[in-house]
Amino acid sequence: MVKQLFFKLKQKCFFSILFLAFTVFQVHAQQNISGEVVDENDVGIPGANVIVKGTTTGSVTDFDGNFSISASPTDVLVISYLGYITQSITVGNQTSIKVTLVQDTAQLDEIVVIGYGTAKKSDVTGAVSQITAKSYEDQPLSRVEEALQGRAAGVTVAKSSGAPGAAIKVRVRGSNSITGNNAPLVVVDGIIGGDLSSLNPNDIASMDVLKDASATAIYGSRGSNGVILVTTKKGSGESKISLDFFTGISTVPNLIPTLNAADFAKIENLRRIRSGGNEIFTDSEISGFENTGGTNYQDLLFQTGITNNLQLSANGSEGKIRYFLSGNYVNQEGIVINTGYEKYSIRANTNAKINDKLKIGLNLFASRAETKNDIDIFGRFQGSEIIKALTWDPTTPLFDENGEYNNYSNKGLASLNYNPIANLNRSKILFINDRLDTNFNLNYNFTDNLSYTLVAGVSIINSQTEKYTTEPPLSDANFSANKVTTHQISNILTWNKIFNKHNIKLTGVYEFSGTKNRYNSFGSKDLTLSNGFYQANLGTPSILNFFSEGAIQSYMGRGEYIFDQKLFLTATVRIDESSVFRPGKRTGTFPSVALAYSLNDLIENVKAFNELKIRVGWGQVGNQSVNPYTTFPTNGAGSQYSFDGSSPTPGSSPIGYGNPELTWETTTQKNIGVDLAFFSGRANLSVDYFNKNTTDLLLKVPVPDTNGGGTILKNIGEVENKGLDIALSGSIIENDNFNWNSTLSISHVKNKVLDLGGEQSIEGGFNSTDGQSRIWNVVEIGKPLGQFQGYTFLGTWKTSEAAEAAVLGQIPGNAKYLRDSNGDYVVSAIGNGTPTFLWGFNNTVTYKNWDLNVFLQGVHGFDVYNTVKGAIVGGTGNHRSFLAVEQLNQWTPTNETEIPAGGQNEYGSSRYVEDGSFIRLSNLTIGYNFKDILGLNSLKVYAGGQNLFLITDYSGYDPEHTSRPSDSTGNSFDNSGNPSDDGANVDVAAGIDTGSYPNPRTVTLGVKIDF
Amino acid sequence: MNKIKIFKNNIIACICMTFALISCADLDEDPSISNLAPGAYSSQEELELGVTGIYGKLRDASQWTSFYVTGFGGDDITTHKVSNKIDFRAFDIRSVNGANSKTVGVWKDVYAMIRTANLVLESAEDLVLSDASVKDRLLGEVYFLRGTLFFHLARTHGRIPLPLTSEPDFEIALSSQLEVYEQIESDLLLAEKLLPSIYPDVNAGAPRPNSGSARAILARLYMDWAGFPLKDNTRYNLAASSAKQVIDNAGSHGFGLLDDLEDLWSLNNRFNKESVWSISYCVTCGTPNRKYGKLGHPGDLLGWQETFAEIKFFEDFPEGPRKEATYRTDYDWENFSDQVTPVFKKIVGPGDEISLDDFDTNRNDFYMRYAEVLLIYAEASGRSGNVTTEAWESLNKIRRRAEGLPFDEPNAIVDVTSGDIAELAFAERKWEFAGEFIRWNDLVRMERVEEALSDRVPRVSRNAAGELVQVQNEIIGSLGTDNYFAPIPTREIILNPNLDN
Repeated sequence: MVKQLFFKLKQKCFFSILFLAFTVFQVHAQQNISGEVVDENDVGIPGANVIVKGTTTGSVTDFDGNFSISASPTDVLVISYLGYITQSITVGNQTSIKVTLVQDTAQLDEIVVIGYGTAKKSDVTGAVSQITAKSYEDQPLSRVEEALQGRAAGVTVAKSSGAPGAAIKVRVRGSNSITGNNAPLVVVDGIIGGDLSSLNPNDIASMDVLKDASATAIYGSRGSNGVILVTTKKGSGESKISLDFFTGISTVPNLIPTLNAADFAKIENLRRIRSGGNEIFTDSEISGFENTGGTNYQDLLFQTGITNNLQLSANGSEGKIRYFLSGNYVNQEGIVINTGYEKYSIRANTNAKINDKLKIGLNLFASRAETKNDIDIFGRFQGSEIIKALTWDPTTPLFDENGEYNNYSNKGLASLNYNPIANLNRSKILFINDRLDTNFNLNYNFTDNLSYTLVAGVSIINSQTEKYTTEPPLSDANFSANKVTTHQISNILTWNKIFNKHNIKLTGVYEFSGTKNRYNSFGSKDLTLSNGFYQANLGTPSILNFFSEGAIQSYMGRGEYIFDQKLFLTATVRIDESSVFRPGKRTGTFPSVALAYSLNDLIENVKAFNELKIRVGWGQVGNQSVNPYTTFPTNGAGSQYSFDGSSPTPGSSPIGYGNPELTWETTTQKNIGVDLAFFSGRANLSVDYFNKNTTDLLLKVPVPDTNGGGTILKNIGEVENKGLDIALSGSIIENDNFNWNSTLSISHVKNKVLDLGGEQSIEGGFNSTDGQSRIWNVVEIGKPLGQFQGYTFLGTWKTSEAAEAAVLGQIPGNAKYLRDSNGDYVVSAIGNGTPTFLWGFNNTVTYKNWDLNVFLQGVHGFDVYNTVKGAIVGGTGNHRSFLAVEQLNQWTPTNETEIPAGGQNEYGSSRYVEDGSFIRLSNLTIGYNFKDILGLNSLKVYAGGQNLFLITDYSGYDPEHTSRPSDSTGNSFDNSGNPSDDGANVDVAAGIDTGSYPNPRTVTLGVKIDF
Repeated sequence: MNKIKIFKNNIIACICMTFALISCADLDEDPSISNLAPGAYSSQEELELGVTGIYGKLRDASQWTSFYVTGFGGDDITTHKVSNKIDFRAFDIRSVNGANSKTVGVWKDVYAMIRTANLVLESAEDLVLSDASVKDRLLGEVYFLRGTLFFHLARTHGRIPLPLTSEPDFEIALSSQLEVYEQIESDLLLAEKLLPSIYPDVNAGAPRPNSGSARAILARLYMDWAGFPLKDNTRYNLAASSAKQVIDNAGSHGFGLLDDLEDLWSLNNRFNKESVWSISYCVTCGTPNRKYGKLGHPGDLLGWQETFAEIKFFEDFPEGPRKEATYRTDYDWENFSDQVTPVFKKIVGPGDEISLDDFDTNRNDFYMRYAEVLLIYAEASGRSGNVTTEAWESLNKIRRRAEGLPFDEPNAIVDVTSGDIAELAFAERKWEFAGEFIRWNDLVRMERVEEALSDRVPRVSRNAAGELVQVQNEIIGSLGTDNYFAPIPTREIILNPNLDN
């Protein structure tokens, strides 16, 4: 089709061809010219284009940079190579020409990886954001995700918790899927399915985020959440060794106020008397607390954490070999006692040029990460260890008179859970994640125009959890190991030809990949001795295992056409076949087309503007995040029963229903964008508007409990995301001594549920942590995903309403909630946790040898369900007593405030919905560069801080966090029996705080040396 | 040049080979690697797995107090007055709505078991085993469980839907009360026929039901059938004859009374002959019982304060060994600082057998006790006008044991031989089964809810300051028959309007 189009265009360009013909008539006697293209270091540049200006005659330099071409003396040779300034040389009477190309530092950043190939940024037709190492090299980073945060318009990065090593949520242009995964696809050096958290930020040369469907359609069924293409560094030039070491000191930024022991005791007495009980503390006990102050478990929970991060890398080229070798060691102590994270990683990227036509490369990456005491793996049935510490009884000391931990509140007050300090100090949960990524690539040029690339990758991910927990009376040991092996083979054929003003590039791909997942676990309950995990044989064992595998086979074609650097057209189609669907349902076709047009001519006379380009794109992409075997009804052997009361007998029961009709979730996206460069390229502006419509939504449709309950995964429903991405960057000040570079990225996303297959709303899967088995989230038509579900709080029952209250079993001073006409509580949507507006403002200022990085970010337009506060207020369930400071001002008959003195305290109510908007100083770093010192290439010393301030009205630790739902077992399984660690899609339950790990405030000090 | 050409050819061959690897992407799934294949059974083991699967789901449901939440309506049981027990409290104060998470949960659990049971019956249809009695016995258990579970739910909601196949019928309607009872009867009769008189190789207390277990539950069914709402008095005959049949064959079923009530609730005795069907638990197997211990203690004793005793009922309870075996009379409950109510020994256990920390226990549920069979016989005999000396003896056995006397030895002071045996037996049930979550059903079938629940105000219990303690959880809902049955879960009606009655 593209060829046809080209043919038509060719006809239309008749006059151009005529003009060409005239030039040909003017041709003088041809002669053979040989030459060499070198870089500034006099090293030959292989693969540079040499074209006789105004003709289709061209040549490409060989591995040593040599070329030969026929040209006449009047011809002008145009020598170009990506990343270098193009040169034009008149042949004259030379027969041997040596050309030195100078690196174009401005243009170097502008090679964009577009998947199965690269393009010049100026040629790109889709919505792509690029982040290069340069933009974050002044910020001390341990995580790749932090480099993305606030730097790419349209990309949302939210830390789920401040725990070292914790998951970081990355979203591109909102969330489409209610049931499926909304995480973008990560492709590392061409291998699909990478994991940002395992990568070393220092290894990354660039990250290109494909945002609209015209760009992501080449990833077909896996492209609907956006694609992050990670390119790792390659060696070049002289050998260079770099060392970067920083140390950080982290603390909890703020503490949440709770009642002191004496006030707590007084209020507890009042609470008991109010409901017909008796005082529990005597006056002398209370005055005792006034003297000692009691025990603040929040203080005991936190510590100062030290982080050490060491980076070492060597890179360079030696003959035909290029290499980049790096090692990274991170050791982070958490700000919560006895928590931490340790990671080692190594990378070896080597490339060799075998001959003129053949290049091969091998990238190896291995990492081991160990997370100690991830608080999310502790039992969360009544909230996290953080909630437990916040709600623990201040009148019970940490230790009893024998120096043993007080495991529970002495008087059964406040939190009834196991002492969180004892739990964290005595338990040991190790999550160990080993990863090996191998990536072999080969490139063979058949002709100057046609090349073949093979990318073959194998990954082995071995993660295991060793869990030793000490909750009385007896300790338990649990183990689980998940081994995931994946392979991918991609065959890429590329044909590229330039005919005068026409530049055509065709790419064809055949690819297949597979995944095997082996899960094995054992549990050992009630160990007779508390000697740790490796005496698990002292308990009663249980076993669970699971296997699954999946495969995808794909064909992809792409045509890129550029006319006169004015018109840019890209059309792609990808066909995916996935094993998770049945025959007939498993093939998906995902097309896209995008057009860009340069209006540089239009602004030629406007001095301020240099470049203006308009981009329009349309495409369809899929989401196949369906677990293997979902289309089959399953009969699980998971249930057990003990007929004799001492040994288990296995039993089977049906799990799920299976839906053979299941197929892809499809997202259709339209994108319109404008790129503008002004003030001689000192400033750049990109604005993109997008409209994403996801249909055939994978939705867990509830089956009536009467018919067996549970859900069937079906393709119904529709979700829409509309928004605006704005990226503005520029050099505000540019002179010899003083430079100020700024980038501002702004994203606005509006998410709306359009259809739920006939239902007005469906409940989410976020189980409450109040022990009442409530669901705290709901999806509603016409509203964004992630609605909070709960009661509407109306303050307190007043004395004047005593009669009305009595009918409902209430007395004045009790909490009052909205009820319907039957007197039943109204449960409805009461807030939303999905932000609508995000921005990041990154500034780098250099003055002589000094440099300064200031990075601010803001997130606005969302609520947080502060159920932590609900638990602190307490007075119900397992948080039995009032602990909130506001209880000092609670309702009394003479002072009828809106703070209840009794009655049902619903954590899931509008009383605890707060505005979550915030502005954060994410990074502030000042560095000094020593020049010509100690024979080093460079030496830089820097100091700074992360999360130095946070402006927000939110009363908890940090509004950015999303917590995990209540989960009593620690391991849950989905309909098909696949292990899943979470009952809820985090995007449908955004902004629910059930006691997440606070985000630390960190002060860092570091040094960077280049040898 | 030639070399390059060969090399080029090799490369092309390589590419062709790679393309030939198409078979590498195996796109057809085999779900049977880590799950059992659904469909017809081909072996006894598969049938056994299926049957045990229903029990597994039963334990998952019955481990929580929620499974017996209807019992909170009785005048014997109450719950914490505030705390997060609102859905238990709703039964206590007679204000249950269709969103009550406890009834929603039990509904869901019961129908998941029914679906499993139906699937087992369908999958076993063509299975031929060399020993036909094994298949009978296993299918007998499935019919027993299905009938008993329908009955369990009907005692909460009255009319319920009756799905009898595993294929979901999304338009299934509520059956009439009569249809519900007839289906339960039919399942239990079939179970009785298929089950042996005693299940081989099991502990005492029928952890796997026998034909006597099925007959005993039938006796309970006929009592309800004869009372509210159908009031089919002819069923008292069947209740009496069913109970009599179990009594006459008690030996062969392995049923009998324990000598001392105190032994009944002891952990060591969790498998005992007084239970005609036990749901068994096993902490070390990962299948614990979570209704007892900590759940019945108040905050003062580190408890989770779920199941408490009503004060007035406690005050009225006749003094003697039975009261001692029912309550923790050693506690100074009048001076508890949070919830001021007595504590059931039946819930928290005797002495320090269950530590205050413990909520996971090995305690079994005695779904129905042999004592109830005896009292059904006495009561049904009276109500059907066919009173025999054996009926009086059945009642007197329970009375004697309540006084700490040998139940088999007549005792002139304790024994009764005249009067309204039905009412005497009915009153005996009140004390005998206090705290066992079945008093509510007695009040329903005899339409005595209003009478019983209007009499809850404490009269004699005083705290250290000499103040009369207050009743916990005032009733706010109707005590009339219109409020006897809990509403069908609202969500079910929304998904299937045919379930609205």
